[in-house]
Amino acid sequence: MNKVELLSPAGSFESLHAAIQGGANAVYFGIEQLNMRARSSSNFTVNDLKEIRKICKSSNVKTYITINTIIYDHDLSLMKSIVNSAKKNKIDAIIACDHAVLSYAKQKGMPVHISTQANVCNIESVQFYSAYADTIVLSRELSLRQITDIAKQILRKNIKGPSGELVKIEVFAHGALCMAVSGKCYLSLHSNFASANRGACIQNCRRSYIVTDKEEGVEFEVDNEYIMSAKDLCTINFLDKIIKAGVNILKIEGRGRAADYVYTTTKCYRAAIDAINDKTYTKAKVERWMEDLATVFNRGFWGGYYLGKEMGEWTDDHGSKATKIKSYIGKGIGFYSKKKIGEFKLEANQLSVGNDVLITGPTTGVVYTKVMEMHLKNTSVDSVKKGDIFSMPVPSKIRPSDKLYKVIDAL
Amino acid sequence: MIRITQYREKCIGCNACVEASPFRWRISRKDGKCVLVGAKSKNNIYSLVVGDDELQAIIKASKNCPVNIIRIEEL
Repeated sequence: MNKVELLSPAGSFESLHAAIQGGANAVYFGIEQLNMRARSSSNFTVNDLKEIRKICKSSNVKTYITINTIIYDHDLSLMKSIVNSAKKNKIDAIIACDHAVLSYAKQKGMPVHISTQANVCNIESVQFYSAYADTIVLSRELSLRQITDIAKQILRKNIKGPSGELVKIEVFAHGALCMAVSGKCYLSLHSNFASANRGACIQNCRRSYIVTDKEEGVEFEVDNEYIMSAKDLCTINFLDKIIKAGVNILKIEGRGRAADYVYTTTKCYRAAIDAINDKTYTKAKVERWMEDLATVFNRGFWGGYYLGKEMGEWTDDHGSKATKIKSYIGKGIGFYSKKKIGEFKLEANQLSVGNDVLITGPTTGVVYTKVMEMHLKNTSVDSVKKGDIFSMPVPSKIRPSDKLYKVIDAL
Repeated sequence: MIRITQYREKCIGCNACVEASPFRWRISRKDGKCVLVGAKSKNNIYSLVVGDDELQAIIKASKNCPVNIIRIEEL
C-alpha cells in the first residue's frame, strides 16, 4: 500500500501549529491576496514565509502555497514575487490553477500542484498537466470508480511529472463542499460583486431562499432546507476505499476555520490513516472519530460524490451543527514551567473545576484540557469569576498571548 | 466636496474600483493592491478630498468593492 500524505489547512499561525500537533504531513496556506480564501482567512504575508518554513521544517512537515485565484495582468508581478519568495524560502510546492502561474513556477523550477479549480476529471487532462505538475488535485465531483481508473492509468501509461516521479493524485477528504462544480461559482459575484474566484465568496449558498410566484406573489420556502448549502464532506467512514483507489494525498479543507477545527480534523484523519496502514481500522474506531469530528464546526456530514450519489445532500441549518461550542472566557498571563502551571485572567463568564477548556495561540497551537484544580491568590478554589487572575495545571506550555475558551455541549 | 477613505490592507486587488473610476484608482505593480491616487496614508488608511464631479464614479467604485474598504463622506 502506498504511503498517504495528510494535508491540512493553515489559515493562521494558530492553525499551522494545530495542524502539526494533529499529525499533518503537510500544510497549505495563502500568501497575500491571490488565494481562494482572500476574504475569510487572515492570510500570511511574504515576510511570514521564513518563519512558516522554520516551524514546519523542525517538524518535518511540507509546505504548499496556494496561488489559485483568477490571475489578471495586474496580478502578475505579485504572483511572480510570491513564487520567487517561495523558491527562496524552500517552500515545497505552489498550488496553482492559472496557466501563467504554472508557466512561471516551471520556469523557476518550483514544483506545482494543480488546484482542484482546474477541474481535472480525466486521464488526458492529467497527462496534459503532468508537463507542469507532480501532483494533481482531482475534481471534487468524481466518483471513487473514476478516481481508481485515473490512478490505474497513471501507472499503466507511466505518466510522470517534472520531477521524474509518477504523478500523484490528491483528493479532498474532509471539509466544506460548495454547490458549484470545482468551486467555479458566480453567485457571489452577481449578488455582491464579490468574486468567489478571487477568494471573496460571501457564501450566498449557505442562506435560505424563498421562491416567489411572479403572477400572484405567493411565496414558498423550499422544503425548509438550505437548498444550495451542501453538507460538509466527511470520508473517514470509507477512507480505506479512498486510499485503496490509489490516492496519494488527502486534503482537509478549512483555511477559514479556527485552530480547534484544524487540530481535531487532522488528529482524526491521522489516526484513521495510521489505522488503515496497521490494519486496525474498525467500525468502533470510525464511530469514535465521527463523534470527535462532530464536536467542531460542521454542517452535518455526507460522503460527497465519491460513492456515486446522484444528487448532493443539503443541510437544514444555517450555521454549524457542532456538538460542542467554545466560548471565549479569558487570556493567558504566564507559565511556570517547573510545575506546569498556567496563569490566566478570566475576562468573561465563570470557570469551575471539572470544566473542559481549550487554549489556543499563535505559538501554542491548540491545547485541550480539563480543569482539575484552580488556585486564586494561593488558595485552592472550586470556581473563579470574571476579573479573577487564577492559575491551573496545563499539559503543555502556554503563553501570554493565548486565548482561553470554555468548551461546552451545544444545545 | 467628497472625502474618500480606503482601508488598503484588506484590498484583494480585484480591479473593481479601477474599472469604475480609472483616474482615481490604479493597481500597484508592487503588491497588486489598489492605490487611491493622490491620497495620504495614516496607519495604512488612505484618505483624500476630491470635487463633486467625481461623485458618481466613486459611489460606483465603493459599491462594487467586494471587501467594502472604500468609504465616502460628503462634506
